[in-house]
Amino acid sequence: MPTDTAAAITTVLFDSAPHAHADAVLAVLDDPAEFGGCTRWLQSATGQPLAETTLALAGLHCAACSGLIEQALRSVGGVQQAVVSAASERATVVWNPAHTRPSALIAAVRAAGYDAVPDAAAPARALRQQAHRQALWRLFVAAFCAMQIMMLATPSYVAGPGELAPDMRQLLNWGSWLISLPVMAFSAGPFFRSAWVALRARRIGMDVPVALGVAITFVASTGATFAPESVFGHEVYFDSLTMFVSFLLGARYLELRARHRAAEALESSLARLPETAWRLGPDGQATVVSVQRLRPGDLLRVPLGQAFPADGVLEEGHTRADEALLTGESAPVDKPLGAAVVAGSTNLGAPVLMRVQRVGGDTRLQAIVSMMKSASAQRPASAMLADRWAAPFLWTVLLLAAASAAVWSLIDPTRAVWVAVAVLIVTCPCALSLAAPATLVAAARGLARRGVLLQRLDALERLAKVQQIFLDKTGTLTEDRLQLRGLKLTPAGQSVFEDDGAALARAASLAAWSSHPVARALVSAWPDTSAPGAAWQAVEEVAGSGLRALDTDDREWRLGAAGWVTEGRVAVAADPVDEPDRVDAADRADGAHRAHRADEADEADGTAAAELGESPLHLACDGRLMVSFQIEETLRPGTLEALQALREEGLQLTLLTGDAPARAQALAQRLQVADWHARVTPEDKLAVITRAQQAGRTVAMVGDGINDAPVLARADVSLAMGQGALVSRGQADAVITSNDLRDLLRARATALKAVRIVRQNMLWAASYNATCIPLAVLGWLPPWAAGLGMAVSSLLVIANAMRAAR
Amino acid sequence: MESLYLLIPLSAALVLIIIAVFGWAVHRGQFEELDAEAERILTDETPGLDGHQSKISVRAEKS
Repeated sequence: MPTDTAAAITTVLFDSAPHAHADAVLAVLDDPAEFGGCTRWLQSATGQPLAETTLALAGLHCAACSGLIEQALRSVGGVQQAVVSAASERATVVWNPAHTRPSALIAAVRAAGYDAVPDAAAPARALRQQAHRQALWRLFVAAFCAMQIMMLATPSYVAGPGELAPDMRQLLNWGSWLISLPVMAFSAGPFFRSAWVALRARRIGMDVPVALGVAITFVASTGATFAPESVFGHEVYFDSLTMFVSFLLGARYLELRARHRAAEALESSLARLPETAWRLGPDGQATVVSVQRLRPGDLLRVPLGQAFPADGVLEEGHTRADEALLTGESAPVDKPLGAAVVAGSTNLGAPVLMRVQRVGGDTRLQAIVSMMKSASAQRPASAMLADRWAAPFLWTVLLLAAASAAVWSLIDPTRAVWVAVAVLIVTCPCALSLAAPATLVAAARGLARRGVLLQRLDALERLAKVQQIFLDKTGTLTEDRLQLRGLKLTPAGQSVFEDDGAALARAASLAAWSSHPVARALVSAWPDTSAPGAAWQAVEEVAGSGLRALDTDDREWRLGAAGWVTEGRVAVAADPVDEPDRVDAADRADGAHRAHRADEADEADGTAAAELGESPLHLACDGRLMVSFQIEETLRPGTLEALQALREEGLQLTLLTGDAPARAQALAQRLQVADWHARVTPEDKLAVITRAQQAGRTVAMVGDGINDAPVLARADVSLAMGQGALVSRGQADAVITSNDLRDLLRARATALKAVRIVRQNMLWAASYNATCIPLAVLGWLPPWAAGLGMAVSSLLVIANAMRAAR
Repeated sequence: MESLYLLIPLSAALVLIIIAVFGWAVHRGQFEELDAEAERILTDETPGLDGHQSKISVRAEKS
């Protein structure tokens, strides 16, 4: 590494204050590649280009905040208009690119005491708003007209024979017809359109019989209105027709709202500051650029704790990377000079330089995303409950209508058409088509209240049938961090330390020098690192083994793997650090890697497993073992009882993890899961699930990481943790926002209940049709009874569906 | 009963008008932030109902 770049690392990474870095990140926002996603270009009255940018706001706590933010935005020179919506926490700003920049807008909001980021989901939100308004209007037109028609239809229900004059009946029918026109032309439009699409694709969905029933009923009623003596008879069904359309639209509106709410919850995590990278120019000068501007061959500096912005190789430095998101392996992977690093993994060891090899669509991350997309295309086609019934239902009805028309043309040719129409009207599948959607929407609403966001309604049906559940380990069953389970003092330790707390304080003060997950577990168990014994000298971290340091009495303490801590006092560290202050991470890791470069490659693999898991961590002084610490993975709350309950319900549980076998086994024993697969890649996980599906089982997958996304796409039903990666949440059928596995149990209980209710509804709808069709075929069904039957069956189905929400 | 010959066409026309008004309101976004209007009174910088009157009175004093 040239010395000037080394100097640059120091300047940029250690000398610059945090706010300088924040400013540099903000400046990246002014790159059109970054703010283009949330900006629309307008033309001002004078012909100047204007930009309309949507910002996602944070920190609003009352309606008055929106006024303050608007004021702050308007005070920026060049801002023409600023509107803040407190409910959606968005700001829409119209600004002149000649006079201001997006970063100035965000800086203004920050100065006002709030936070703002570009709203990447703005176009999607605009589309949703449009869809919502249209659906609301359709529903209003249908419901309002249905009410009016009900009023006009009442006289013909309550009037005795001969009480209603024929011209008055004619007038009422004419009024009903006029008011039902908007319902047919506008509100019922989606049914006709989707029926037409289905027919053109040569398949029959539930919309086909619905559209047919609605159309036939309307045509027959129109005929009865304008030519009462024709083949259509003189009975009109405008009231049942419009009520049915408004019920169906109501169910669809609620479904739309549920879908939109799930999308919004996902998008809230999409809005964030642009991802940036430190790029070194030929002069060694570092600049902050958007990751979208990276090109292969660029030299990047990756600070400690940040994600690698692209795939590439390490050019300088030695570090560890957390690739848990990609591989599921929770132990950091050692990355010596020249090692390949993967975009999206986190740099844990030390600041390093990397050379970019692949960016954007070429990265490993993107490869996993595209694998997920192809897996979701292979998802077993499972049609919506009601759609499966659509085709047989339609053919039965058509056959019955044709047959009854044929028979009646022999008995009484004048009534043949009327009977056929009557059969088609009473079989208008109101209740049947409401049975499933109304129930599933109600169930989804109930689940959303409990913290499970359902993104695909049909997933409920499959969730009820699940036989085997695959569980990811890290992030799903366990949290990302480790925790201290307990510690044991050896006799030697008891003579040195007064109690467990003192031992822990000593170990934690040493562990605070490392960013290793095990060390962090110790530190978090004893957060007070200023306790006695905190003065360490010559601290050195040995990759794959542990930490060693000298205390004020020049005794050597070691914290780490069992064999290594008791090796006794060896030669003074290769790279002693004289001052007792905290050395920076670069020096520590460099020292470690110079000392142990030779053996670290094989060490990293073997000891990582031993060092984590349930195996103890030790503290020794001058080769004498003092304390043994028991470290374990932190289980998410409720995991144990949730798995216990799932097992009791007869579900087969399988643990899938990219982690080492030792750790997987330890956890599987703790959870009493007999079936586990360790060190599996995303491809292996996909294969395991496919095998289970080929064996005829309905499988569910619960995961959280990017590496789970392909499997989530393939499984019959998939659930993602709310804290999981965006891509896996986007892919899952349902998101457990509470991160509590007990909610999986509740979701399953709701699914079972919903399926039971759908069956009851179907049964009711079928028995209604089974009673009415013979009567209609025989010509015995009075029209008022047909209308009433249709209305009551729909209402019953909806009332029953509401139970699913409880 | 003859009044119905006038009232029913009238109510049909009224229905169409109400639908149009509702459509206009929906597409103006009036049903999206139901709380915003109620809370607007709490914001400081909204000019009061009689905000313009002070200007008039100033002008009146000058004249």
